[in-house]
Order: sequence, then C-alpha cells, then structure tokens
Amino acid sequence: MTKRVHKALADENLQAALANFLPLVKIVRQIALTHVDFDALSKEIRRVKEESIANLPQLVEQFKTEATRAGAVVYEARDAEDANSYVLKLAQERNVKHIVKSKSMLTEEIGVREYLENTGIEVKETDLGEWLVQLAGERPAHMVGPAIHKTVEQVAELLSKATGEKLSPDPQVLLNAARGALRQSYIDADMGISGANIAIAETGTLVILTNEGNGCMATTLPPVHVAVVGYEKLVSSFEDATAILRLLSRSTMGMKMTVYVSYITGPSNTSAIPGAPLLSGQGPAEVHIILVDNGREQMRESAEFREALYCIKCGACLNVCPVFSSVAGQTYGYIYQGGIGAVLTAFLHSMDKAKDPASLCMGCMACKEACPARIDIPRMITSLKAKLAAEEGLSWKSRMAYRGILKYPERLDRAIKVGSYLQRPFTGKDSLVRRLPYPLNSLTRTISLPSLSHHPLRNRLKDFSSPGVGAHPKVAFYAGCVAAYAYTDLGEDVMKVLRECGAEPYYPQWQACCGAPALFDGDVETALSLAKTNIEALEEMDPDYIVTVCPGCAAMLRQEYPRLTATEPEWNHRAKAMSGKICDFSQLILELTPSAEKKPSRNKRVTCHDPCYLKRGTGIYSEPRQLLEREGFELIEMADADACCGFGGKIVFDYPELSNSVLQRKLDNIEATGVDTVVTNCIPCVLQLRGGLDKRKSNIKVMHSAELLAQHKEGGKFYEKQRSQS
Amino acid sequence: MATGATELAERFKKEATRAGAVVYEARDANDASSYVLKLAHEHNVKHAVKSSSTLVQEIGLREHLENAGIEVTETDIGEWLAQLAGEGPVHVPESAKTIEQAADLVAKATGEKLSPDPQVLLNAARRALRQSYIDADMGISEASVGIAETGTLVIISNEGNARLVAILPPLHVTMIDCENLVSTMEDAAVRLKSLSKNVTGHKMPGYITYITGRNTTGDIPGALMARAQGPEEEHIVLRGLT
Repeated sequence: MTKRVHKALADENLQAALANFLPLVKIVRQIALTHVDFDALSKEIRRVKEESIANLPQLVEQFKTEATRAGAVVYEARDAEDANSYVLKLAQERNVKHIVKSKSMLTEEIGVREYLENTGIEVKETDLGEWLVQLAGERPAHMVGPAIHKTVEQVAELLSKATGEKLSPDPQVLLNAARGALRQSYIDADMGISGANIAIAETGTLVILTNEGNGCMATTLPPVHVAVVGYEKLVSSFEDATAILRLLSRSTMGMKMTVYVSYITGPSNTSAIPGAPLLSGQGPAEVHIILVDNGREQMRESAEFREALYCIKCGACLNVCPVFSSVAGQTYGYIYQGGIGAVLTAFLHSMDKAKDPASLCMGCMACKEACPARIDIPRMITSLKAKLAAEEGLSWKSRMAYRGILKYPERLDRAIKVGSYLQRPFTGKDSLVRRLPYPLNSLTRTISLPSLSHHPLRNRLKDFSSPGVGAHPKVAFYAGCVAAYAYTDLGEDVMKVLRECGAEPYYPQWQACCGAPALFDGDVETALSLAKTNIEALEEMDPDYIVTVCPGCAAMLRQEYPRLTATEPEWNHRAKAMSGKICDFSQLILELTPSAEKKPSRNKRVTCHDPCYLKRGTGIYSEPRQLLEREGFELIEMADADACCGFGGKIVFDYPELSNSVLQRKLDNIEATGVDTVVTNCIPCVLQLRGGLDKRKSNIKVMHSAELLAQHKEGGKFYEKQRSQS
Repeated sequence: MATGATELAERFKKEATRAGAVVYEARDANDASSYVLKLAHEHNVKHAVKSSSTLVQEIGLREHLENAGIEVTETDIGEWLAQLAGEGPVHVPESAKTIEQAADLVAKATGEKLSPDPQVLLNAARRALRQSYIDADMGISEASVGIAETGTLVIISNEGNARLVAILPPLHVTMIDCENLVSTMEDAAVRLKSLSKNVTGHKMPGYITYITGRNTTGDIPGALMARAQGPEEEHIVLRGLT
C-alpha cells in the first residue's frame, strides 16, 4: 500500500490530472447546490433508501413480477460467478461476438468484461472515460469519472493506438475520434450490457443515467440487452426514483439533471405489423435483468454496515476527500474508491482486501458532509477497523503502545519523560525538533515537531486552582495528549483566560488519553478502558462545563464514549451525562462573556483554519470567528478553510508523505491570504500547521484562540472589564 | 396565455437554455414550420427522421420539409407503412391492414422479396429504418411532457424508435406544446402514470427518455465538453397557447 501511495504521489501525470479535475468539480458542485435545499433533499433520499432496504424482499418479488410481465427475463445471481456465467451462457446461445457496455460499477465489481473477453468475445466500453480506462488496461479512478487521472496527452496516446490514427492532444479532436470509433460499435454489437442507477419495483422499470448518450444507444441498438443490477438499487415507486434522481444528478456532475435518463420497462415492442399483435420493436427483442447479491444481503443484515447500501454511487464523497484528492482511485487497490469503497470492498470482495483502503481514511468527515444519503462513512470505517483488528489481532507495536503505555496515565507520563531526555540533542533553541534519527526520521521529514515537556501539564496545573462552591461556573479542562505533553504553555493560557472570563477552571489530575488512537486502530478494549478512566476523572468535582482544546478528543468524549459503553448501562449513563457538558474553548468563552463589547480594531489580520472535528463533527465554525472579530482582529478567509490539515487518522504515521501532500495544499491556501497569523481551535492542527510552516521557513504564526487571547490582553487582564460587570 | 402557463413556459425556457438547448417559442404553426425549415437549411439537411408526433402533423411540418426537397422518414413502423402507402401519418394505415399488403409495401421500399411473415417484415423494417437513423442529418421528435424546473423533455415510445431519432442524428429538434409543460419532476411522474394507462393499456411505456439540454462529457481532460455521443445541437420548438 505504501508503495502505491508513493507511486501516486510521484506520478506527475496523475498529479497534473487531479490538479485539473478537482477545481472543476468544486465549482460544479457549488453551482449545483445553490438554490437547493440539500438538507431536505438528502433527508428524502435517506428515507427512500431506508425504506427500500428494509422492504427489500417484497420489492424484489414485486420487481420480478412486473418486469416479467413487461417481457423481461429476471435472474437472481448469488455472486459474481453466478452472474457472469449467466451472461456468458446467454451470449453463447445467441452467438454473440461483439458486446457494447455502458458504465456500471457493479460490472466492474463482478468483472464481467474480463470474464467474457477470456472466452474470445469482444466487449467494448462505451462511456468515454471507461473506454479510456479499458484501453489503458486499468481500473476506474472514480465512480463517475473513470479516467480523471489521465492527462490530455495520455488520452491522445491511448486513442491514437485504438483508432490507428495519429491524434493531436486537442480535446475536440480526441472527442470526435472517440465518438466516431464508438458509433460503429453500437451498430455492430450483438449484445448491450448495462447497469442501472435505479430499479422501480411497481413497474419493473430500469432507470439508467448518462450524460454522453451512450447508455441510450447501448441499451437500444443491440438485439439483446442485459442489465446487471445490485439489489440495493431497488425502490418502490416512480416517485421514490424521482427523489434519488434529483440529487444524484446534482451530486454526481453538478447538473440539475443528467442529460439522458432512460426508463426501460421490458423489451421494445410494436403492434404495427398486421397479424402479430405484439412483436419486439426496434430496440432489443430480449431484456435480461440480473439481480446480483454478491455480499449485499450480508451487508443488509449487519446493523453497523447496512447504511453502506444506501450509497447511490454519485462520487460526491470522493470529490471532497483529501486523500482521494492526493492519490486518486487506483491507489485504493480494488474497485470501489474512497471511504465508502473500503466498506463496500469488505462485503463485496473480502475483509482482508478492505484493510488497505480503510487505512487511508483520515477521518476528516468531509465525505459524510457531502453524502446525499447522509451515510456516516467515518463511523463505518472505525467499525471496520475494529472488526479487522478483532479478526487479525493488533500488531505487537500497537499492542505495546496502547495496552502497555497509553492505557495508564502514569506510564505515559514516564514514557514522555524518557522521550524528553532522548530528544534533547535534536531540539533547537526554539523548542522545535527538526530532525529525528532513524527509525523516527519519517516523523520529521515533512513537519518540525514540538519538543516534549519534561513535566506533563498535570504537574504544572496541580496547584492552579481548586474550585470552591460559588457563583462561578466550574470548568474542568480536558487537555488531550498534545497539550498535556508538548504545548503545556498553551494549557496554562487556557486556564488563565478562563479565569479572567469569570470561570473557575481546574485541571482534573488523572485524566488520560481520550483513546482515539487506539479506537481508530481497532483497539476497542483500550479505548473502553480509557473512557472509564476519563469519565471517573472528569465527573469527580461535578463541573458545569468540560472545556477542550482538541476537537478530536471532544468527539471521543462526546460521541464515542456513549457508544463504547453501550453494553454497560451504568457507565453508559455516566458517559451520556458527561457528554452534555463538553464544549469547545471558543464556544465557552462566548458563553461566559455574553455582554462583551466589540473591541476597537487591533490592525491585525488573521485567518481561521476549521478543524475537521470542530466544524463537521460539532458544527462549530462561527464561534471562533465571532470571538476573533469581537476581539478586534480582522478576519481574512482562506480558500477551503475547512479542508483537513493532514493530521487526521493515523495517516501522519502510516503515510507521512500522503499527510504532507494534504498539508501542502492547506499551507498554500494559508500563504495565499497574506496574513501573518493562522488561528485554529485544535491542538493537533496547531502542531501540524506549525510544523509544516517551519519546514517552509515561513514566518506565519499558528495559534490556538487561547494563546492569541492570552498574548493580546490589554492592561494586564484580558477580560477585566467583563469580569467586574458580572 | 394564463399567468401560470406563462411562468411555466418562462421557467422551462430558462432551464432548458441553461442546460445547453436552444429554445424557440413559435407564434403559430407557420412560424414553427419555418423555424425548423430554416434550421434544416442552415445545417444543410438532406434527410430527416421523425418519430410519432401529432403536433408535427398538425402544423404540416413534414410536407413543408418535403416540399423543400428534404427527405423525411417516419420511424414508427405503423407510420412508416402509411408513409410508404402515401397516407398521412396514422398508426394503422388503411393500405396495410393485411399482412400481404404490408409485405408488398416493405418489399417495395427495401427492394427485397419478402414473405408475408410478421417477423420477416419486422426484421426488414428494422434494417431499413436503422440505416435511416444513421444516415439522417436531423431527428424530429415530440415531447409528451416538458418539466419546467429542469428544462427536461420527456419522450415516450414502445418501439424504441423515438430514442434513436433523438440521439443518433447530429441535430435534434423537439416539438412541445405549452399545454404539456408541468412544473416539477413529481408532476411529470404523475402525468406519465396517467398517460401510459390511457394510451397503451400497459402500466408503463417501454421507453421513457428524459432529455435535459445537450449531451456532454467530462471524460476528456481539459473541460466539460458539449456533444459527447449524441447530437451536436438540441433545439426545442415550444408552441404557445393560443
């Protein structure tokens, strides 16, 4: 996998093609979603898919009855082999030599093209992108745009070879040549193979979408039409199909409507020839519909993974995925790309093949936000990793790190202390570690690291304060590992600013790691143990708020702890009670000082980076901005402020170059604003951005809001005025 | 024109245009015919294929084109037989009531000797018509429904001919009556359901094709390109309410 990632990152053609493709999809997506109530439409899709999958057995029966009545032949295939051998047998019986095929992910999944080609039948892809991929002998790079990884020069080469003409790398020349070459194929073909985007049970109808028009031709011109359809495509009614259609077009290509939508019900027919009431008409005389299971029923039965069947294959999740944006689809190693691809691979292919694609997820949740069916892909990836870890066991390294050290705060303290001594020779005067020796050298190849503190934050804040009984809200500070062991100054800033805002902050002494690293590596056992440790530590003095500076930790505390403790009612109750008190630093400051007036301008321009877990995980993005503007800073927005910084998941350890590629895009956007300070409310983001900017030798400062406020206080105390008022 | 209807027409025009179609609002039958004729001349059209359309028949478009020396082939098999017999476009022509009559007509058209066997005749008709789609410079259709919110044309057929008329020739013109415009996709679904029950006695027509604007591809790197594998130009002639 590491090799594939490196290859993709080093592939200049691929990177050029992606640089061309990604801005384009961003623009079309923006256009498509203006004036549209995305929320309402996606709610509707979600309803349709939930109902359809729940009622699947009835829908299958109804579809079979209606499609058969309309004259189609319906076959139910257990798996790829079953489906493929049906098609092959049919092809042989009809003496088929040439087949045209329109694009379908399912046909890729079962490998029907290769299966038929192996017997000497010619199968030609008719979607231009898919044809290019076929000519290149590759797999599609994207569910919707199979050839987005190709440059125009590469396309010219492929088409020149296919047509036998020397074609110049001019898009119009290439398109004309391709169109001409494909046109004859439809006419010569003895069979057309397609998928279906939707199948309507009440009428036995297939719905096929294409923008190029190839779908219409491949399903109408050849005498036999075979449609290969996954069970999850079934919906009950024409109206339900419409709901999907609305958002599918928009999510896929950023169009209000796909250019051609074909509703096909049975074979073509005519009653115009006297004496024969119903003959096949001018389209195919036979329509065969193969409903394919190939692991779908198993997915349907799984409460954790069922929602993967709600995927309408629009590819919107890929277009926003920072990892996909860096390496494109082939890197994932199987048919389905991106995070959803990892889950689909696990069921439609095999569990072990899902391991690589799952390891590429940064957990940034951009996919979840873009998904028109509201599929919680990141959650499924976490479940998938847990399942994989349970089946295969943890690596000895992970086992030692999580169960040997991370699980116990005091052991972690000692380990960090040892680390802080060992790092000395590599630490600069500015407390940055720019180069670590082997085997840790990969950690500092792309970012400079903060040095580890000799004393953990708990020692430093031991005597900071202990809350009494009073009118001031009691605020427990949960720091998270990066603040606890590296950015301890920042930890102290948080406490000071909170106190100046009229709160009584304290540091629960025996808080531990939130458990995220263990959980995302599949070690549920350690994560659960840490959840209990933290629940005990944080509920001890019954705080009014629990403030966090790491939104990733906050998400663990808020969402994962109730989930992890689901089978232990007492712990679950405590986890849920705690979950309601968790808040972000900026959110809490605004809440503590509601009547604070806007400060005069400081003539200082800053830009704001939205941490994934803060914006998409918690919906907080206006609060940090409000706070900055209230404090007299001028906010300059960067492009893609909410794109991941590259620190997410375990990517930064497993694939540092990939993490770096994501980071570099972020840094470019930061530098483009021309400001000298980036503010972000996430400590790991601070680490990543600082480290990356230092490697660029940039003077731009990266600060958490707490640091910014603490360092820009006026007249000694920052919030003096508000405090005396309250 | 009623206000509601005007709004629908305006919305339809706007959306279809945005999606890359050229929309022409015809004042009357003559205006519609001369627009299509002008278009045909501009594109040097020698041969057009058309699918079943009462609107085209009403405005006498075929005759207009034929008078201008453009060959127009009916592609609905019934209407094709009627055309061969020199009758107007009717689905069941007088002169092809028996299989023998039909065999004579098809034989004359194809120059082949054909036995009066339905399957034989159908195969011959298919072959002849297939060639017409491929040779045609222009396809003429009628949309049963137009969807204002997306600028979509809905074209129905059982034989599959209408899809081929719409997609194979490099120039496609669709006639639509303002009365057949609906506001949303959901309205279209309702309309289609009632239409199909009334017209054919089937639950659904074999082929319903939604066409929105001009076909495109994003598969050639560089940009989104118009005219992928379908027509170069999509024209819509909207006949207003009079």
